[in-house]
Amino acid sequence: MSALAYAWRSLWRNRRRTLITLTAIALSIMIVQAFHNLAIGIYARMIDDGVRAGSGHLAVYRNGYLESREEGLSFLPGDLAKQVRAIPGVSRVLPRIYLPALAQSSSDSRGILLVGVEPDAERAVNPFLKKLPEDGMLRDLDGRDAVIGKRLLTDLKLAVGRKLVVTAQHRDGTLHSELLRVRGVVETGIAEVDGSLLMVGRQRAALLAGMSGEIHELAIILDRADDDRRVFPALAELTGSRPEVAAVSWKEAMPNLANAIKLDYAGQKFIFVIILLIVTIGVVNTLLMSVMERLREFGVILALGSSPARLRRLVLLEALLLGLAAAALGSMLGSLFTWYLVDTGIDLKNFVPENMEFGGVVFDPVLRAAWDLVWMVRIALFVTGLTVLAAFYPAVKAGRITPVEAMRHS
Amino acid sequence: MTLITLANVFKTYRHGSLEVPALVDFSLVIDSGEFTVLAGPSGSGKTTVLNLVGGLDRPTSGTVTVDNLDVGGAPAGILADYRLRRVGFIFQSYNLIPVLTAAENAEFTLMLQKVPRPERRRRVVALFHELGIAGLEERRPSDLSGGQQQRVAIARALAAFPGVVLADEPTANLDSHTAEELLDLMRDLNTRRGVTFLFSSHDDRVIGRARRVVRLEDGRLASDSAAHR
Ligand SMILES: Nc1ncnc2c1ncn2[C@@H]1O[C@H](COP(=O)(O)OP(=O)(O)OP(=O)(O)O)[C@@H](O)[C@H]1O
Ligand SMILES: [Mg+2]
Repeated sequence: MSALAYAWRSLWRNRRRTLITLTAIALSIMIVQAFHNLAIGIYARMIDDGVRAGSGHLAVYRNGYLESREEGLSFLPGDLAKQVRAIPGVSRVLPRIYLPALAQSSSDSRGILLVGVEPDAERAVNPFLKKLPEDGMLRDLDGRDAVIGKRLLTDLKLAVGRKLVVTAQHRDGTLHSELLRVRGVVETGIAEVDGSLLMVGRQRAALLAGMSGEIHELAIILDRADDDRRVFPALAELTGSRPEVAAVSWKEAMPNLANAIKLDYAGQKFIFVIILLIVTIGVVNTLLMSVMERLREFGVILALGSSPARLRRLVLLEALLLGLAAAALGSMLGSLFTWYLVDTGIDLKNFVPENMEFGGVVFDPVLRAAWDLVWMVRIALFVTGLTVLAAFYPAVKAGRITPVEAMRHS
Repeated sequence: MTLITLANVFKTYRHGSLEVPALVDFSLVIDSGEFTVLAGPSGSGKTTVLNLVGGLDRPTSGTVTVDNLDVGGAPAGILADYRLRRVGFIFQSYNLIPVLTAAENAEFTLMLQKVPRPERRRRVVALFHELGIAGLEERRPSDLSGGQQQRVAIARALAAFPGVVLADEPTANLDSHTAEELLDLMRDLNTRRGVTFLFSSHDDRVIGRARRVVRLEDGRLASDSAAHR
């Protein structure tokens, strides 16, 4: 026999109570693990959609451009694009031009954002462009094709195949106009984008503004979102030799999304803390009850010559075993739940309007979790620690028993 | 050789403002190897004497010395070790740990002493044999009769080879036949192993089997069959 055997069997003395406590702890672990994984999955998806439709996981700008969006603040990428593409973990590099412009159809005019892109690279990553039919996408860098936001199309009373004129300021100060033809229509679900987006080949945009070869943004798509910690230093090293440009992560380039996620997760964390607090109080109660029921036995153990410290350790050991059993069961349930959430997910289509926008990004109505194994292990160990912590007061109480009193009164 | 000395021991329990004298100027000397019973009516102080000798309680005044250790004044840590290594306890209601088997109960103090497992088992099996409960090692206390349980408790008390075994009414919960058997067993152990026994009893037949009878009344020594020494 060992202290371990004594602790384990003692735990099961009151089978029902231990089972209830164990289940409560395990369920709290399951809920916290599964909902954390769900949140991580949703955020990852949002970040992914966000960066793909937006400015990439990482991006390079001329200093000051991000704050002012001043179209004069462009830069010559030179070899940068090629060098960045060579960094391990980088999936795509997308040079872009952004120009405030005026679009006119035969019947109306609107202020727009003219975006000059590299069509093939852009279509490969942008979820909205991916949806376009084969003949709905820009064909070349300097063509007159335009892809246009759905609302802008209606506002200008245009249709696919119709012509429009865009006017923007040239570097020399004069206004230049270009004739374009609508080739494709995108609908992102974000009113601001759908009402002002007009995408053309990069060279056509550069021509209009007289900024040949220069760009405003070098958006970088990574293989994995969490690679940014590895890629960023390599990128910073590349841009280090060019003091006029700087690399930023999506968190800086899209602060709305980053903040929305931070806030959402903070709220979730708060709920986690409350769940764990309630469970801990329940565990304290159970352990205290189990100690109070065994005053006599503990009195005997002390009389037989155990030191109070030894007895306290026995009580803590019981709690540790309870915690470990709950962690194992809870992680199993948490894994099953997560597996379901990864595999099937939660379909919100029936509950919410067609498009869900969060932090300026539209996302898929089927919520799916993503595995965060390190965090799952960490929370399981944390709850085990909490259980042991919950045993401290009962353990101290057990150590204070005097054998004479304990045996007299029972 | 003197093993236990109680010298002018007073023990007073306090209930708020009420003082209950449990022992009044009580003195007693017990040699090693004796087989002594504390007799006396209920409330006369028998349990109190045993608790003091066992280091479970401290005298209000006077001294309690066992094997040259000042049991009345030693710090708690020393007392725990004293109980673990030098005293064996047998309780009226056996007080076996219900979740442990008979053998595990008997091994308990040895486990606390960190005696290696095979050695523990060897000693306990031998003791079970000696106590006539061989074969019951794997039973839980709830599957044992009162007499069997008390034999397991005796095995637990003896397993660590203590200098003295203290037993508070060890036979009070047993029928008289079993009680006498148990007492003979204890006396046998006393003779063969030289273990000092100090126990309390109400039962005249049990008292009659002791070699020395110390009677208490109202916390005082009333008579001592060895008073002539
Ligand atoms: N912890 C205590 N608190 C208060 N009074 C106590 C306590 N322990 C014993 N007493 C009192 O001290 C006196 C002696 O008690 P003790 O238990 O030693 O008697 P006893 O001879 O063992 O009696 P019994 O045969 O009933 O077991 C009694 O009056 C008892 O009520
Ligand atoms: Mg008594």
